[in-house]
Amino acid sequence: MAATPATNPSQLLPLELVDKCIGSRIHIVMKNDKEIVGTLLGFDDFVSILYTNGRRITKLDQILLNGNNITMLIPGGEGPEV
Amino acid sequence: LWEKKKKESIFDLSKYIDKQIRVKFQGGREASGVLKGFDPLLNLVLDSTIEYLRDPDDQFKLTEDTRQLGLVVCRGTSVVLICPQDGMEAIPNPFIQQQDG
Repeated sequence: MAATPATNPSQLLPLELVDKCIGSRIHIVMKNDKEIVGTLLGFDDFVSILYTNGRRITKLDQILLNGNNITMLIPGGEGPEV
Repeated sequence: LWEKKKKESIFDLSKYIDKQIRVKFQGGREASGVLKGFDPLLNLVLDSTIEYLRDPDDQFKLTEDTRQLGLVVCRGTSVVLICPQDGMEAIPNPFIQQQDG
């Protein structure tokens, strides 16, 4: 079994899933206890995330979120009930 | 020379595809789900994901509470441990001194 990163193409690549989520709601869970829900506008190689209509308890119009603290990305998620 | 080895992984995750795995993150979060995909940077796709919630007073203590997250992408930069879900068991605390009488 080769140890190279040529993984089986029938599996789901993580960044492909994030890419499919562009234009939809996404719920982002940070390393600490912060979470953000919004509409995903885009992301880069380091998974910095550009959002609109972010809900972080306070409403934000657009936000460029630094990818350093992102732990999980949940497509279509609405986050916990507020 | 290590420089020539490029991005070879020391650990092959493909044997865990479609299996239930447990993942621990920097910052103390823990989750468990079915591995659907991954990349060489250790970003993961987990399905039917459950997050294990921690005690609000003691961030290092797990509670019985969980929440369902569904299909989730886990950032590889945040992952600190991956193991099969049935590859671990809780044991009694080995650090507690035995009390006499």
